[in-house]
Amino acid sequence: MNIITTSESSFGHLIEEGRVHRTLYTDTDIFRLEMSRVFGGTWTYLAHASELPKPNDFVRKKLGLRPVIITRDREGKFHGLLNRCTHRGATICRQDEGNARRFTCPYHNWSFTNTGELAAVPLEEGYGPSFKKEELGLGKLRVESYRGFIFGTLNKELPDLKTHLGPSAELLDEWLDRWPGAELQLRRGQTRFTCAGNWKLIYDNAADGYHPGYSHASLLRMRKDRYGGGVDMQWALGNVDEGLQTVSDCGNGGTFIDQRAEIIRYWDQSAPMPGEGPYERIISEKMGDKADAALDVVMGSGMNINIFPNLLIIGNQIQVIEPQSVNKTNINWYATALVADDLPDEVNSLRMRLQEDFPSFGEPDDLANFEECQAGLEIEEVEWIQTGRHMDTGKEYIGAKGMLSGPVSDELPLRVFWKEWQKRIEQGNTGGTK
Amino acid sequence: MSINTNLIKDGFTLEDILRDTLESNYIDDSYYAKLRNDMDEWEGKGTVLNEEERQAYESLIIHENWLLDRRAFEQWYQLYSRECVYWVPAVGELPDAERADPQRQVTIAFDDRRRMGDRIVWLRTGVAYSQLPPSYTSHVSASFVRLPTEKEGEIKIRSQFIVQEMRGGHAIQTFSGWMGHVFVEEGGVIKIDRKVVCLLDAPRNHHNLTFLL
Ligand code: FES
Ligand SMILES: [Fe+2]
Repeated sequence: MNIITTSESSFGHLIEEGRVHRTLYTDTDIFRLEMSRVFGGTWTYLAHASELPKPNDFVRKKLGLRPVIITRDREGKFHGLLNRCTHRGATICRQDEGNARRFTCPYHNWSFTNTGELAAVPLEEGYGPSFKKEELGLGKLRVESYRGFIFGTLNKELPDLKTHLGPSAELLDEWLDRWPGAELQLRRGQTRFTCAGNWKLIYDNAADGYHPGYSHASLLRMRKDRYGGGVDMQWALGNVDEGLQTVSDCGNGGTFIDQRAEIIRYWDQSAPMPGEGPYERIISEKMGDKADAALDVVMGSGMNINIFPNLLIIGNQIQVIEPQSVNKTNINWYATALVADDLPDEVNSLRMRLQEDFPSFGEPDDLANFEECQAGLEIEEVEWIQTGRHMDTGKEYIGAKGMLSGPVSDELPLRVFWKEWQKRIEQGNTGGTK
Repeated sequence: MSINTNLIKDGFTLEDILRDTLESNYIDDSYYAKLRNDMDEWEGKGTVLNEEERQAYESLIIHENWLLDRRAFEQWYQLYSRECVYWVPAVGELPDAERADPQRQVTIAFDDRRRMGDRIVWLRTGVAYSQLPPSYTSHVSASFVRLPTEKEGEIKIRSQFIVQEMRGGHAIQTFSGWMGHVFVEEGGVIKIDRKVVCLLDAPRNHHNLTFLL
């Protein structure tokens, strides 16, 4: 079969029922199109409100490969700006975070407000009547947020963010409201990984309920040898499809693994963490009959909420996929704290330690497997990747929130992803057909 | 298998480690306060080691490096005290009181004795794919200085390091930075009580940090 990947804007021949073509993971031209059309052509996660809490705060991020600045103006409204001087192209913001009402380009000192307008140009008399300052503001994204999660897009035709998120918005509510009234805070450090694999290998894995019993054999074996059964992730052993976990289609490429039915007592089933004894005692003393509930929010939620194309909410962490090239991806795990007047801060002393557990003993093994996938996919002669598990076993059903759901090892999430991917890649990033 | 009566002195096997420390009972507010105080003290002006200090502390750090390079994790474990910490911050631009505080921030590694044991057992499972094939390392330490400390009975040694790591199928990685070792005496033996590893590239994305620094 002769695969033409780039000269056409139709990709149907690479995405079949139950399988997709390997070049989707290895072709640099496809990667370039993805960075233009997928990242930015749909609502794409940019930042969390708690990273820029005060008026005039900003953070520097990426939208695909585009450097962008997310700002909060003095009224508190969020803006997404392309970090590219309209004079001759230099990036104007060179810090990861800070507080600024204006950004001044270091090259010739054009300066821009944090809402993107061109405010001042040195030696302005050097420009004649054709110079239109009001047309030389920074490139702007369409920006909206849902409960602190800030998304941006170049696409003017998409519906509002909440409509776009569909059932994912409700799932985010459930994830956020485990301790009603608590505020979720980032700026608690990040675990930053890099992987010599295509970015989609990471998204694929986030709703892959088939792999844990195998890819995470080291974690499961270590826990069992040291602590016996009952601790952390034991639901991954055996025939997972006979267990209580499910996967679902959240629409627009979003997917969801629900492990909650497997968790009887969060705290008792938690992975071990440094400080467990002393802080459990303090929390129990301080909280009395609410102690169990407080201890439970130390542990991850038992939910994997994946929002196409780059946001993976897993456990207590917010993972953001940052593609670097067709075979290199950064994955940034933002640690989170829960802050509320009626929740002792000892909960966060434990949360920080627990959020180091999976990055130490779980994720690295997956990353090693993703890299080996990339190496294998470079082989020309074996062309296809299987995506058809449980596609025709009759096990899928309409589940909670009207979502198409299936047993946890169902590869439904892969099929959901590719459907949305194809829709995005065949359109320009501002909407409409290319 | 012979049962050791004094593991700290005579050495651990993997079997011993499996059962050694299964609870986490000493990381509390006062321990974190101690680590914050350490961070301040590491910023001090050190003095080069005298002959006696070299024999006691520099040689122990060199021995630690050697054990890690030999992947002798069980013997490495034995160098540490009962209430130890192995800590690799995820932030650069130290000192920074808030961001360097492990009580408030997630780190690359924060292992109390129990998690250190977890790590060794995990490395030894034979199915940790991030360590198949395993990493081989070469640790080089230099510029040893002793820092003044207000904590009685503790010795603080700071050093600079370069670690190279090689894993089959992957390019050699180089890590550098400084380490702080806090030594205490336990049962008449000098033990490492706290080790902090401050990587030059701590805030950057890392490819594979599943070996020990
Ligand atoms: S490139 Fe920015 S002012 Fe010239
Ligand atoms: Fe996994």
